[in-house]
Amino acid sequence: MIQTKDITKTVTTSEGSLQILQPISFEVKAGESIAIVGASGSGKSTLLSLLAGLDEVSTGEIYLDEEPLHTMDEEQRARLRGEKVGFIFQSFMLVQSLTAIENVMLPAEIAGLADAKKRAQTILEQVGLSHRAHHYPNQLSGGEQQRVAIARAFIGQPKILFADEPTGNLDAANSVRVEDLLFNLNREVGTTLVLVTHDNELAKKCERQLQMQAGELTEITAAPAQKDLAYGS
Amino acid sequence: MVANLAWRLFKHEARRGELTIILFAIILSVAAVLSLSLFSERLQGALVERSSQFIAADSQLGSRKPINEAWIAEAETEGLATAEQVSTRSMAFGEQQMSLVDLRAVSAQYPLKGEIQVTDKPFGSPVATDKTPQSGEIWLDSRLFQLLDVKLGDTVYIGDSEFEVARVLSEIPDQGFSVFNTDPMVLIALEDLAKTNITGPGSRVTYKAYFAGEDSLIEQYYDWLRPQLDDELHRWQRVGDDESAIGRSIARAERYFLLASLLAIVLAAVAIAVAAQRYSQRHYDPVAIFKTLGATKQMIRNVYVLQILFITVLGIVIGIIAGVIIQQVVVTALAGQVDVSLDVWHWRPVFIAVLTGSICAVLFSLYPLLRLFSVPPLRVLRRDMGAGLSSRGLQFGASGGAIFLLMWVYSRDLEISAILFGSGVLLVVALLGVTYGLIALGRRLGQGAMGSWQLAWARIRRRAMDNSVQLISFSVTIMLLLVVLVMRNDMIAQWRAQLPQDTPNYFMSNITESQKTVLAEHFEANQVTLDEFYPVVRGRFVAVNDERIKTEVTKEEDGQETEGRQGLGREANLSWSLRLQHENRIVQGQWHDDWQADANDVTEDSRPIYPVSVEEGVAGRLRINLDDLLTFNIGSEIVTTRVTSIREVNWQTMQPNFFFVLHPAAMQNFAATYITSFHLDASRKADITALMQPFAAVTLFDVDARINQVREIIDQVSLAVEFILVLVLIAGSLVLFAQVQASMDERQQELAILRTLGAKGRLIRFSVINEFLIIGTVAGLMAAMANEVSLYLLQSRIFDMQASMHWDYWIIAPLVGAMVVGILGALGCYRLLRLNTGQLLRKMV
Repeated sequence: MIQTKDITKTVTTSEGSLQILQPISFEVKAGESIAIVGASGSGKSTLLSLLAGLDEVSTGEIYLDEEPLHTMDEEQRARLRGEKVGFIFQSFMLVQSLTAIENVMLPAEIAGLADAKKRAQTILEQVGLSHRAHHYPNQLSGGEQQRVAIARAFIGQPKILFADEPTGNLDAANSVRVEDLLFNLNREVGTTLVLVTHDNELAKKCERQLQMQAGELTEITAAPAQKDLAYGS
Repeated sequence: MVANLAWRLFKHEARRGELTIILFAIILSVAAVLSLSLFSERLQGALVERSSQFIAADSQLGSRKPINEAWIAEAETEGLATAEQVSTRSMAFGEQQMSLVDLRAVSAQYPLKGEIQVTDKPFGSPVATDKTPQSGEIWLDSRLFQLLDVKLGDTVYIGDSEFEVARVLSEIPDQGFSVFNTDPMVLIALEDLAKTNITGPGSRVTYKAYFAGEDSLIEQYYDWLRPQLDDELHRWQRVGDDESAIGRSIARAERYFLLASLLAIVLAAVAIAVAAQRYSQRHYDPVAIFKTLGATKQMIRNVYVLQILFITVLGIVIGIIAGVIIQQVVVTALAGQVDVSLDVWHWRPVFIAVLTGSICAVLFSLYPLLRLFSVPPLRVLRRDMGAGLSSRGLQFGASGGAIFLLMWVYSRDLEISAILFGSGVLLVVALLGVTYGLIALGRRLGQGAMGSWQLAWARIRRRAMDNSVQLISFSVTIMLLLVVLVMRNDMIAQWRAQLPQDTPNYFMSNITESQKTVLAEHFEANQVTLDEFYPVVRGRFVAVNDERIKTEVTKEEDGQETEGRQGLGREANLSWSLRLQHENRIVQGQWHDDWQADANDVTEDSRPIYPVSVEEGVAGRLRINLDDLLTFNIGSEIVTTRVTSIREVNWQTMQPNFFFVLHPAAMQNFAATYITSFHLDASRKADITALMQPFAAVTLFDVDARINQVREIIDQVSLAVEFILVLVLIAGSLVLFAQVQASMDERQQELAILRTLGAKGRLIRFSVINEFLIIGTVAGLMAAMANEVSLYLLQSRIFDMQASMHWDYWIIAPLVGAMVVGILGALGCYRLLRLNTGQLLRKMV
């Protein structure tokens, strides 16, 4: 589902160019769940942004569902994201001026689906927020907002879901609830999950864990099928 | 789908108050422009109507030959109202006496605008009449009853005809005003003129045709007529061509309205620019989210362009309603005092208002929107990422271009637009320099323990660019308000000075040397103060540098009575004085008070050459330069003079003024007559006959009615100007408020953090107030400077006024700026500080 070949990311700063990611190659199978763990500043969010096509690689190749992300322009990547990718963010990233249900409908509307509202109602029910459908984000608690975000991520039944510290802003009780919801839906829909976190407990819930350290990626627990692959360099 | 999303966003944001400021700015711009221009159009309509009374029509064709009947017939076919007048000078005879008169023969339709004024007895109180003399009737000026020794019902003879004295004529609308040489007027019916046989070959006759009707019809008619006119014979005059004091005052007031409306547009534009920037910044996150979720650029563009469209349409609709209500309130409030044409609905203001709203909304949101579209999707992960596009050049270019375009479209006057725009640009450049200077200064001032002042300076420094934009918008707003305010003060002061309460309302001429003292004593005894006596000798202006000239001009033949400027060898009124007259200013050369006769400076035939001062306008027209030799023929004598000075004369004072003022030595051999003036209160009008009774040969002119008319118009215009000022001040204050509100949002985050860290409300409040005080003071000071530049250019180039410095505003502007901006800042801050930290932090999300 995801395949990377020697991807690197270099940024230009006032003190010259800085390589944030060393050449990274790995593969994620369809339906697999992987966690990328690492300390702050290790480069895990950068890797996520490249995998999700939010940013461009400096060198190397990325294939998302066999489509060459590295050759696409911003417009093509946006189309690909719309069709195949879902997102969950640490800071929820809900549109403040839209209600919960409207936020959930958003991806379906962008994709031009006719039954956006019906889908949104169903999935809001699944995350237990149908009674809050017409509330604005700032009228919801953090946990509720993240559940809305999860509902939004799954409404298009994406092939791949990227989650960036999904429980980073939540208390313990809400974290558990959100995690359960995330993994349950993931299983139901059969989505490939790429999760970035510094929470090892959360990472362990994934089938594989990859460690980011100073821009280099290493596998902590490799799934049997991936053993023969080389990680990093 | 896109439309749905855009509509939903619009609906929710409107409900949640997110769009209030930008919507408010558009409403403000539309309402201000609409109410100002509706009001000024209506007022102008009324003023034009009034000033049309001075030419007795909307347009007038003057001619030295009889006007082609076919032309008048064509005008009538086109739907215009027409009337005719033929005027000439002739002798009128009573049974015993005779007098030279200014004869006017008018058609029954005369006048098309304004009224003929008559009185029941000579020098009585005038009342309007809608009649004209019947065939066989003559209406006589008050003076003629005395000069011809006649009374109502008597017979007066002109040429081969006789007339019955039917009425006392007080005034006709287009009689003009001249102190010199005015013969008393008589009015007869046009059809009676032929019978008198006085308009034969060689007589000097002026023919006039009057036209009234819709502007477009008149324009259309003039287009048809123009090719057939002969510049030597014909003169087309329309309302507004009036060079008199009233004409100029009205023209100036019109320019003021234009200026005020232009400034209202700029104010509104500034408000929209501020609001649009804020709107754009608030939507960075949604755009990043939309892009992340797969929205294409096109989709995002559509969503936001549609949003702007919804806001614009809503703003325009509400703005128009508000504008109509405002101007209706103003018109109703002023109905008693100001003449406004209530029944006319003008579409142009509506069109301009809609255009303004649209151009402002589109062009001022262009740059913020372009920035918005450039927000990368990566912002969802990297919250510090702003817009990809950043170009101050584009920003200033787009908004500057929009402002200039609006000004030009609206005013259709490149110069006035260029002046306002140029001083605006100057202000912006100066402000950018000053901001950075202040920031450098603040770096030193802001050091030390963290008090509210240090915090204020620190904030100003840190947000240098944002603050400079804010400073610019505050300064521009204050400057525009200053321009409108000071302009109005100067203009009204000059109007009032032009006609003070004791302005002479009577003139006397033909006073002989020997009568001077007696006359002065007689008036003194009757508690009437006479003005200065001006000596007058009539002379023919015959040559410049020994080259004979074709046309000679005197003041009274120019201006209002240009139709009289036909012949060669007409006489000029020459005066002499050692003292420069009031409201005269030497622009070239030197005044001749210390001139000494020079035995070497003589003509070929050894006659002395005397100094003469020439009025600037006539010098220009006749191409007279300093040091030229001018030759006058006075009686049978030749007087040669050298131009030693060129004078600027304020013709708007109700004072005798002269084109040529000679040194007294030049005139010592000529017998002069004198003219003078005096002021007599309206309550003493009845005394005039007794006052004048011992001086039968002295000619008296009553200009009281004319002065009152001028004063009335000026009062009305002043009142209207005041109202416009108030409207612009309100608009400006609202803009300032919007600016403070917008900048307060930007401070929200910082306040929340300071609050969270435990800073006391007092420290935060004072730091914000101090910040606004600093910004307000600097903005006020900069505005005062820029105000001076634009006023100088406006007054000297557009308003035909004497430009002056306004030092008091250099103190007032910074003080008021600091106060207003500080108070608004404090209010905004108070609102934020009322929220608790939790609410503040949540608002930041």
